[in-house]
Amino acid sequence: MTALIRSEFRKVFSTKLLLILSISALGFMLLQIFLSVLVTPPGFEDTNRLMDPAYIKIVIASAGSASVFLLILGIVAMSGEYRNQTITSTFLATPVRWRVMAAKMTTFAILALALAFILWLIAAFTTMLLLGTQDSAPFEWSAAFEILGGTLIGLVLYAILGVAIGSLITSQVAAIIIALVFSFVIEPLLTVFFLTVGKWLPGNALNAILQSGGGGPESNPADFVSVPVGIAVLVGYTVVFAIAAAFITNKRDIT
Amino acid sequence: MEHLTKSFGSEVVAVRDLSFSAAPGKVTGFLGPNGAGKTTTLRCLLGLVAQTAGKATIDGVTYREIENPITVVGASLEASGFHPARTARNHLRMIASAAKISDSRVSEVLETVGLTAAADRKVGGYSLGMRQRLALAVALLGDPKVLILDEPANGLDPEGISWLRTFLRHQAGKGVSVLVSSHVLSEVQQTVDDVIIIRSGSLVYQGSLLALTEGGPAEVVVRGPNIEQLVIPSEWSIRPGSPGETVIIGATPEAVGRAAFEQSLELHELSAKAADLEELFLGLTAEESPTNESVHGKGGPG
Repeated sequence: MTALIRSEFRKVFSTKLLLILSISALGFMLLQIFLSVLVTPPGFEDTNRLMDPAYIKIVIASAGSASVFLLILGIVAMSGEYRNQTITSTFLATPVRWRVMAAKMTTFAILALALAFILWLIAAFTTMLLLGTQDSAPFEWSAAFEILGGTLIGLVLYAILGVAIGSLITSQVAAIIIALVFSFVIEPLLTVFFLTVGKWLPGNALNAILQSGGGGPESNPADFVSVPVGIAVLVGYTVVFAIAAAFITNKRDIT
Repeated sequence: MEHLTKSFGSEVVAVRDLSFSAAPGKVTGFLGPNGAGKTTTLRCLLGLVAQTAGKATIDGVTYREIENPITVVGASLEASGFHPARTARNHLRMIASAAKISDSRVSEVLETVGLTAAADRKVGGYSLGMRQRLALAVALLGDPKVLILDEPANGLDPEGISWLRTFLRHQAGKGVSVLVSSHVLSEVQQTVDDVIIIRSGSLVYQGSLLALTEGGPAEVVVRGPNIEQLVIPSEWSIRPGSPGETVIIGATPEAVGRAAFEQSLELHELSAKAADLEELFLGLTAEESPTNESVHGKGGPG
């Protein structure tokens, strides 16, 4: 398995995919932090949300917004092997296909862990510096640390989920579109209209873990499941998708 | 290959009850027109495609049962791809590490296929011929005893084809068993010991190239001023050849010469017609058509 993980690392670091998606994730996160701190949405003009320590925690939890990029990273890396037909070489070298899947998931979990920590650190520092320019409640590292575990777990699981989706839907474009439409259209709609169902969806389980309630100004963390339940739900989705991916990949004809 | 059958969905049968074997230590050509099922057969053999029925084994075991298979069987398949932004060296390195093969072996195979100078360039900028060489390098990476090459000559220029011939002969000289597929007989004609010919997923011929040509009806070319007066036994037949030539089917030069001598006919040429392999091959692999069948007859025992 070490050999296979080594092979997967070589695959990742011989293309620019990781670099591009990491920079995108960083940019998206910073944008969200700047907007959350510097822009007051309509309807909130009367209160300074920055005086609320809970809101500051939500701002730091912007690190979790990188989840969608980790999801895409996993999808592109896996479906890319089908797109470029390197999957043939991969399965010729390792015909026991579930081992390839396991190695790829482990590899992207490790990468996601490192990336999540870096993003969290940058999120915390950026928030701290920005708050220094504003009239706000003090920045507390303890609040940042409460977010750390959730950020690491959430992003790691999303990366694994991405690999699983990329092997279930091997058409790269279709896989990305489906993942994005689900994350940004179907999930928010279900959350708004059927919260009882919506709060069990992966995106809201992630919000629960990050204790961010989605990060938006109108969100209410009380609407979401508890942190341990959120972790269990997200782990559940990941395990189900990973097993389905391994099963279907094993049956698939590589033509 | 034993009774291999592969159908895609309920409609398309790509390979139909196909049985053949390739001898160890020889170069075996696996021939058939495009769409005959060559690639599907090879993918079944390599465990990439699950057959509907039958068995495909290498040395008695299936590919998936082989421990670290690329060190036993090296394969280059048509449509096995490369990431366009990855260099040839990195492509080989990623496969090497999965199979616990050292990076020095990567440099070796790059040298063998003549890609050392281009090794650190992105594969996206490679010509078709360079991609074929890289695919061969992948196949050689594990220093295997068996090579399975799918259309390795596709896209090669004449110089490349000549290089490939030397390469295949060299491998066979080292005792490597080679199974090489092609849809053009002439590409592999000078290289292969045996041929396996399939059409529409079924075997039409297996055996040596030599036996393939002997399997056809014997033909004798004769030229002479009054050759049309030659009276021939009923088991022979005559067809026109090139201008001035007459081709006698079912005869030997000795028998024709004796007949002409007995009938006091002057001969300017008397020779056994060299079998045109390409024509034989086309005849074997053509869809059933009466003209082809009558001219070329039955091609062999298969």
